[in-house]
Amino acid sequence: MALALAAFLLALLLLPLLAPLANRPRLCAVPSALLVLALLAGAALAARALSTGAPATLDLSAWSPVAQAAPFAFTLTLDRLGAFFLLLLCAAAAPVALYAHAYLQRHYAGWRRAVLWALLPLFLLSMALVLAASTGFAFFFGWELMTLLSAAAMLLDGDSPERRHNTYIYLVMMHAAAACVLAAFLLFLSRAPALDFASLRAAAAAMPPALRNVAFALALLGFGAKAGLVPVHLWLPKAHPIAPTPVSALMSGVMLKTAVYGMLRFGFDLLGPGPAAWGYALIAAGAVSGVLGVLYALGENDLKRLLAYSSIENLGIIFLALGAALVLQAHHAPVWAALALLAALLHSFNHALFKSLLFLGAGAVGDATHTVALSELGGLQRRMPFTGALVLLGCLALVGLPLTNGFVGEWLAFRGFLAGAAAGAPVLPLLAGVLALIGGLSAACFANLYGAAFLGRPRSPAAAAAVEAPRTMRAGMAALAALCLLVGIAPGFLLRPLARLAAGLLPGAPPLLPAPAAALAVLLPRLALALALAAAAALALRSRRSLGARRSPTWACGQPALTPRMQYTAAAFSEPLRTVFARVYRADRRLELLPQGEAWFPAAVAYHSIRTTSFERSFYRPAVQAIVNFARRLGRLQTGNVQMYLASIFLALIALLVLMRLA
Amino acid sequence: MTLPAALANLAQWALLLALAPLLRGLIQRAKARAQNRRGASLWRPYAELAKLLRKQDLVPDSASPVFRAAPLAALAATLVAAALVPVLWPAALLASSGDFLVLVGLLALARLALLLGAWDSGSAFAGMGASREAMVSALAEAPLLLGLLAVAILAGSASLAGMAHWTLTQTFATFSPVHALAASALVLVALAEAGRIPVDNPATHLELTMIHEAMVLEYSGPSLALLELAAALKLTLLLALLAALFFPWGMAPAPTPARLALALLLFLFKLALGAAAIALVESTLAKLRMYQVPAFLGLASALAFLAVASTSLTR
Repeated sequence: MALALAAFLLALLLLPLLAPLANRPRLCAVPSALLVLALLAGAALAARALSTGAPATLDLSAWSPVAQAAPFAFTLTLDRLGAFFLLLLCAAAAPVALYAHAYLQRHYAGWRRAVLWALLPLFLLSMALVLAASTGFAFFFGWELMTLLSAAAMLLDGDSPERRHNTYIYLVMMHAAAACVLAAFLLFLSRAPALDFASLRAAAAAMPPALRNVAFALALLGFGAKAGLVPVHLWLPKAHPIAPTPVSALMSGVMLKTAVYGMLRFGFDLLGPGPAAWGYALIAAGAVSGVLGVLYALGENDLKRLLAYSSIENLGIIFLALGAALVLQAHHAPVWAALALLAALLHSFNHALFKSLLFLGAGAVGDATHTVALSELGGLQRRMPFTGALVLLGCLALVGLPLTNGFVGEWLAFRGFLAGAAAGAPVLPLLAGVLALIGGLSAACFANLYGAAFLGRPRSPAAAAAVEAPRTMRAGMAALAALCLLVGIAPGFLLRPLARLAAGLLPGAPPLLPAPAAALAVLLPRLALALALAAAAALALRSRRSLGARRSPTWACGQPALTPRMQYTAAAFSEPLRTVFARVYRADRRLELLPQGEAWFPAAVAYHSIRTTSFERSFYRPAVQAIVNFARRLGRLQTGNVQMYLASIFLALIALLVLMRLA
Repeated sequence: MTLPAALANLAQWALLLALAPLLRGLIQRAKARAQNRRGASLWRPYAELAKLLRKQDLVPDSASPVFRAAPLAALAATLVAAALVPVLWPAALLASSGDFLVLVGLLALARLALLLGAWDSGSAFAGMGASREAMVSALAEAPLLLGLLAVAILAGSASLAGMAHWTLTQTFATFSPVHALAASALVLVALAEAGRIPVDNPATHLELTMIHEAMVLEYSGPSLALLELAAALKLTLLLALLAALFFPWGMAPAPTPARLALALLLFLFKLALGAAAIALVESTLAKLRMYQVPAFLGLASALAFLAVASTSLTR
């Protein structure tokens, strides 16, 4: 097992050496094919580790001089929790790697293509390191590498000032988040002999509750920022859309899950399931992120940014379920806590599949039409039937409709919330209302996405001239869509090992599939059969006596022809909901009549709508301004006078000595 | 499942399907009477469906296969949803733990199919209707789910059949206020979901006011027949659901022919009462302005929220 893990990581490490082959006409498929093979092998390895539960350990400390010092030990241990997230990584990344073959070939040439083929396996390796790490140093090494490599991929795509600014924000926020996580690790340092997870677990048991709370709060802040939870989500809609499509898919689908992994590792495994208050903190963060994420997504015109906002929504749902699991565990209902935890784990897996699928679909649309603005698209279903059908399936799964994997995850979450009533946590059932609101809004949002981009008439010549995506791109998307359906109709094969994983994290929970989940696993195939029969019956009813179908022009109120401009647009579609939730958007709209001063008979009307979110305007900018002002005031100390500096160093030293004495 | 039970389940599913057009006829007749008109025959909706099914299907020239698939998906999802509702006795074809969530999911699937069909017609009217429907349904989802959840908590059962069975065992003296709150929330949601006044007006084709009718404006012939059937079935199943959760008295405790016949009679009576109530509402109330609908659904949400919140007090 350990050998297989080593081989997998080594393969990812060495694959970049073959990246230049992507530029050879005959061998250009080699990097993609080998990466897919490595990831499939990794998936097999992870699935095996998940089902047997025997941890595979790999001690790499001997290889590095620095790692032999106690806090810097570099050990990898793949336990059930890590194995599940590694399975998620491989399952989502293998189709992405397949898709990337044609995509990178069409979009990048020369050194850029080679560098991207080198970055992809390394980025995956960094995430695998995070998931397999069992010492604080190894975890952090992978964590930082993950941030830096994804930032590098973002910068590869172009060099506009806006791109640099967005990458800068990404790096700053990720490092602030990493600092929080590091502080959470360092809190253990005085109590644990080393920063490996086993000693951290032992030390946490002996920690005073106040210190545990501080560690949890730091972890929530750090991992919450990585997960893109509101209000520390600012980087996500800026960073995800500008990366190359395969990297966007991996960032949204997989990288965000490392934050869920971190939260599970810290909140459940190391610190042990904590008090109910921890759960309520997660629930509050999840509920706010879920509702605001989907509302921002609804108001978005850029396809990729819409998907990025919807990732905030989905991470919100995952954190809601995680919080419910903590609350139920604190109320001594481990069986129900396991159900809620199952919901969080499954939804993480599901989101990795359908969000990667949708990002790949957005990439295919951008590839065919050279735009991802919903206002320029339309009519793509007839021009790209295969891509359209797969994106539709991804949308159905994201909305959580029956027979898709999204439904299974949300169903489990609802059952977990319902269980709160019997367990003495009356707040949990109310969360079902929040989750239902998120579901309803996301249905509107994704009906808008698919309808505006794929249905009706094309809104631009580019969309009218779109052609179907190349074969490997379609194959990558089809693999993800097939997985979505498989988990949606027969989730039992995945739920059973997940139940054993949940039982390991929640003391007192049996390692069996909870009864409601088992009932659902029985119901879903029947439901699929019933729906197929009903659709066949409806088809028979329609075609039995009818005279067939005939094409005719759409009714245009007697006008000679309907033009694409007379169609509804995505912005018009979401307008009623945006009006209802106007307080959330606080849209800054300006209507200008041209020429200026002409109040009654304008020649033209200019409309500006500023799409920065109210968070950026009313939360971040004042905060940044305050910090800058404070720094400027502090800057007055910097007189250039050496004596002044010496005096302040001296005073600081005295203060520190006094402080040490008092403590 | 024993044979009589399976037959009874199949019968009540078929009953919902068979009665769906009749309910439309009943409402139209009752409305006409309330407005001092004679009204059309009760059986006219059946004749209309038969007529539409014999016609040719007109498909907009820019539409993709989604346009013709949408009515199939909408009807199929509604048909399967009808197999979850207990009508004559507290059981159903696809009854299972947590099936109320499946019901909500299937209704959402049917609605999404309609939205996409509307998008695909490429018409501004259909887009307008879809946009409004998206708003109404997004806001109706939470009260619908919370209302069902309140009853589930009260009944201690996560299946619709179990909830109906629990209500059957209640008497007037043990009736909980939670029930009243959940019932009123679900009645409001049912009106919105079925596209009835005061949320939507099924009788008008005036584009400024309509929601559902605008969405299906481009549909004709057999596809329209499927959509009409799906809409009628949805209204029937919502009424049956309200009857099962809040007024199940008369349901057969076991699937014996005599008790089922009695249950059938009582169900027809309840359905007629529901039709009369809808006709009365539609004859006396005006449709709400578009932007008043969120307030209407906000009221439903508040009631459902209170229902769930007060379950912990009444236990």
